[in-house]
Amino acid sequence: MVKVSLTVNGVKYDLDVPPTERLLDTLRNRLGISSVKEGCGRGECGSCIVLVNGNPVHSCLTLTSRLDGAEVTTLEGLAPQGKLHAIQVAFIEARGVQCGFCTPGFIMITKALLDRVKEPSEKEIRRWLSSVLCRCGSYPLYFEAVKRAAKYIKEGKIYFDEKEVREKYHLKVLAR
Amino acid sequence: MIVIETISIYKPKSLSDALEFLDKHAPDVKPIAGGTELLLLIRDKKIKPPKYLLDLNPLKKTLSYVKVEGGVVKIGALTSIYDLSQTILHSDKRYAGFVDVWEKFGTMALRFEATIGGNLNAATQYSDYITLLLAFDANVKLESVKGVRELKLSEYIVDKRKTALNPNELLVEVSFKEPPAESSSSFIKFDRREILIAGIVTEATYLHLEDDVIKDVRIAFDMVSGKRIPARAVKTEEFLRGKRFSSEVVEEAAEKILPSEMTRVTDWWATAEYRLEMSKVSLKRGLKLAYERIRGE
Repeated sequence: MVKVSLTVNGVKYDLDVPPTERLLDTLRNRLGISSVKEGCGRGECGSCIVLVNGNPVHSCLTLTSRLDGAEVTTLEGLAPQGKLHAIQVAFIEARGVQCGFCTPGFIMITKALLDRVKEPSEKEIRRWLSSVLCRCGSYPLYFEAVKRAAKYIKEGKIYFDEKEVREKYHLKVLAR
Repeated sequence: MIVIETISIYKPKSLSDALEFLDKHAPDVKPIAGGTELLLLIRDKKIKPPKYLLDLNPLKKTLSYVKVEGGVVKIGALTSIYDLSQTILHSDKRYAGFVDVWEKFGTMALRFEATIGGNLNAATQYSDYITLLLAFDANVKLESVKGVRELKLSEYIVDKRKTALNPNELLVEVSFKEPPAESSSSFIKFDRREILIAGIVTEATYLHLEDDVIKDVRIAFDMVSGKRIPARAVKTEEFLRGKRFSSEVVEEAAEKILPSEMTRVTDWWATAEYRLEMSKVSLKRGLKLAYERIRGE
């Protein structure tokens, strides 16, 4: 077992993990963070993308034991409690979500893109979003969502009230 | 959940600490950089699981760099593909081949994880940076507790998934001579899609012109002799050297000289005949692209 101290979405955890445990399993099974999805498990589909120290990485190819002192951000940590991040709102408004399995991956890679490029070109958006496979084929809607999110962030609208967005778009809270 | 209980991980404090650990435990230890290849190989049972993984993340500060020193371009083995894109290799037209490789290199997230050293050590015909760096006539620097040795990249890559790296050595740097001003490079990757591809044919060109005369040229393909590793098309280079750059010369090189030295294989993706045909096309396109870049068109 390896001792690892890890900050996930702003909360510090001291974990004791097997040396070859994947970050994906740590997040899902130990910490209950279920937005991280396992698609292919080999770095091809991108559904498991999270940010480690601000860089997008496949959590299925990352060993938790190598991340001592790292800062991990998942979809759950994008906005404070009761708020939604501009990227999340843009994805809702673009109506790009079909089955929703790959959406967390798309939102995280979009976050990584918009952290680096304020106004990405169409080519850049396509290049970055190619990291995630969407079998429903929602790409054109996702491209619109990224542009919309970039616009929100440029206008300084980074966080939205979750309740207002839910009411506006009739989004129910599903019972767990 | 994939947990292989028998593997332990070691985090070195410094490069010398890592080398000592390697020397002590070789060959039961595998260095891990990005992990995008090694973990899959272990999981797919393509290699025997090692006893130890040597975590190279702590060495990132020492071995991640691109610098030009004394007419030599040096790239640290732990430089990630994304970090490469933030350097002179992506802003100077002489290294334009690096931009071409980057454009078709896996997904964006993979570029943050994968390292150039890992790409070389994978040693397959799909390691695009091998093909490109062969065209730059690169050298690799290997370090162990006994010291440092330098090898030509072409000698380093022995066969598919086989390099000249001893189990107690670490690949620390790849370097090549800084190309002259009147030179440029290109990289062609041909497949059915634009991204997420292995490449049915890949080709890298380095071209140095002097008043339209080909002063020096180096051409590498993902496969030349039938061995499943990238190699240089030496006869084609020999033919082109010293000739005036023209479409006739390029045509003759592609149609007559290249097929005489190239052996392609048929597999699930494409037939040997198709690959050879596309190799000719790639050679022509690559040379033309490098030429246009030198001329600034």
